[in-house]
Amino acid sequence: MNDKRKSPLKVVLHGMDGRTYKTMVMYLQGPCKGAAIVVEDIDAEVDMIDADSVNAKTLLEQKQAENSVRPIIVLSLKEQKLENVLYVKKPVRTAEMLDALAKAEAMLTARQKSSGNVRADRKLFINTDERKKTSKHQTAMHLDEGNFNAFMGSIPGLDVNDPKQFPNAFYNPKEYFQGYFQSACLIAQTKKQVLHLNSGWKLLIIFPHNHEVWLDADDKQLRSFAGLPINNLSGEGMSLTPASAHVLSAENAPEKFHNLDAFLWKLAVWTSRGRYPVALDIHKPVFLKHWPNFTRLIVTPHALRISALLIAGPRTLPDIAEILKIKPQYVFAFISAAYALGLIKQAKRQADEIIQPPVSKNNERQGLFTRIISKLRGHKT
Amino acid sequence: MSQYKIIFTGPVGAGKTTAIESISDVPPVKTDAAASDMTKNRKSSTTVAMDYGIMNLAGGEKIHLYGTPGQERFDFMWDILTTGGIGLILLLDNTRTDPFQDMKFFLDSFQEFIKKTNVAIGVTQMDLSAKPAINDYHIQLQGMGLKPPVFSVDARVKNDVSLLVQSLLYSLDPELEE
Repeated sequence: MNDKRKSPLKVVLHGMDGRTYKTMVMYLQGPCKGAAIVVEDIDAEVDMIDADSVNAKTLLEQKQAENSVRPIIVLSLKEQKLENVLYVKKPVRTAEMLDALAKAEAMLTARQKSSGNVRADRKLFINTDERKKTSKHQTAMHLDEGNFNAFMGSIPGLDVNDPKQFPNAFYNPKEYFQGYFQSACLIAQTKKQVLHLNSGWKLLIIFPHNHEVWLDADDKQLRSFAGLPINNLSGEGMSLTPASAHVLSAENAPEKFHNLDAFLWKLAVWTSRGRYPVALDIHKPVFLKHWPNFTRLIVTPHALRISALLIAGPRTLPDIAEILKIKPQYVFAFISAAYALGLIKQAKRQADEIIQPPVSKNNERQGLFTRIISKLRGHKT
Repeated sequence: MSQYKIIFTGPVGAGKTTAIESISDVPPVKTDAAASDMTKNRKSSTTVAMDYGIMNLAGGEKIHLYGTPGQERFDFMWDILTTGGIGLILLLDNTRTDPFQDMKFFLDSFQEFIKKTNVAIGVTQMDLSAKPAINDYHIQLQGMGLKPPVFSVDARVKNDVSLLVQSLLYSLDPELEE
């Protein structure tokens, strides 16, 4: 390995069972003297594949198809002669492993030199003190019905709480900044590259490695922009570029970092303004994959109740409002935000439509629980 | 008058004592002692019996908040503490070597209690160690057939602890009114 390298090479392991995985982690730490460490896929610089595993061929093809700058090391009993792939024969010998890691590092450096973007990208693994990212770690804003409408905004001429107007109470995220932002995140995640979304508005940088976004605007500005439909003409002006030129701005203002999920959640609430996403059929049940991380999200009215109900079983949107005896706008706002994060799915099984889960029986402790919640929220009891 | 209690559990240093302090109406009774075993690598003092706090409700009702000692050698107390409990708050320290192993240990240990009631999980110290992420916990839980609330929690912040306890109560009965 190159002595000049200060930090170990970051390796992700593929095709290894739990035991082999742990052994390899210890092997790199021990006999290889920390020349490389095992990290998660998104943080990795090198792919290491067990070529004798069941799905090795598919894995290798997939990694090669990604055309990433990451070098690939394969471990195999049989000699492998594959283009642009480093081979270490099993049983693995330390000298051969170190040699492969050194070659991988050289390949990485060469590829970075030939790709200005990626080189810049590697510099952008900002190891900012996590604690300075105050926005990212601040506790949730909890909204009740009284202050929610002013916070969220509404659509003139549309009463989303009127069942007769449900067919028109939808919105298409793709017609707003939300849609462009989501597409940009997807690209940044796929390319594993820090990107700048050029919208003609405020500077916005997506950091896929840390699952963060940096925006040079406050919530008030974001809320206003979120509600503006973006027509095709102005949408064409949106573009993505490597964010290298702007990284200093981000480094100098850590308080403007947001967790990507928390950012997308509020963006969806402000874009929906009480409507539901067009992709959902409100007459078919939806289910919630898991609870949202509510302590770091805006807690919309009745969001905890809606989550608990949907975790218990799939429901249609009007059904949720009816069971919980709440205005549909609160259901639609929550569903829009959770859908943006990929937490809401339309139930596909016919059984979900026919066999509705029973509504929970009247709990004898209901009064007590309600008093505890009231106390926790600081209401006078 | 009936006595109701909520149990806080989790490994050493996960923030159980602090979480109880955040929502208790009285200064909590702490039974800390200077750490003398492997615990001292993580904090200078630790809970050797239990923590105890109270939430006073309207009408004179009291909710007793019990924190279990984090060290496994006190697990004989856990059954006693959970008897008659409303539900379980499990706090996990994200800076520990294997928080998933901790999670599995406590979910297994309190399995019977969770079956009868429910659990909500708070992950602390995420500002020091962002990984594993909350989604990673859900993936682990999915493998165990569980879908409890899992929140990032700063045990010093009342709102974080409050939301976690609320999620536990709504899990027990989604139709509770706000």
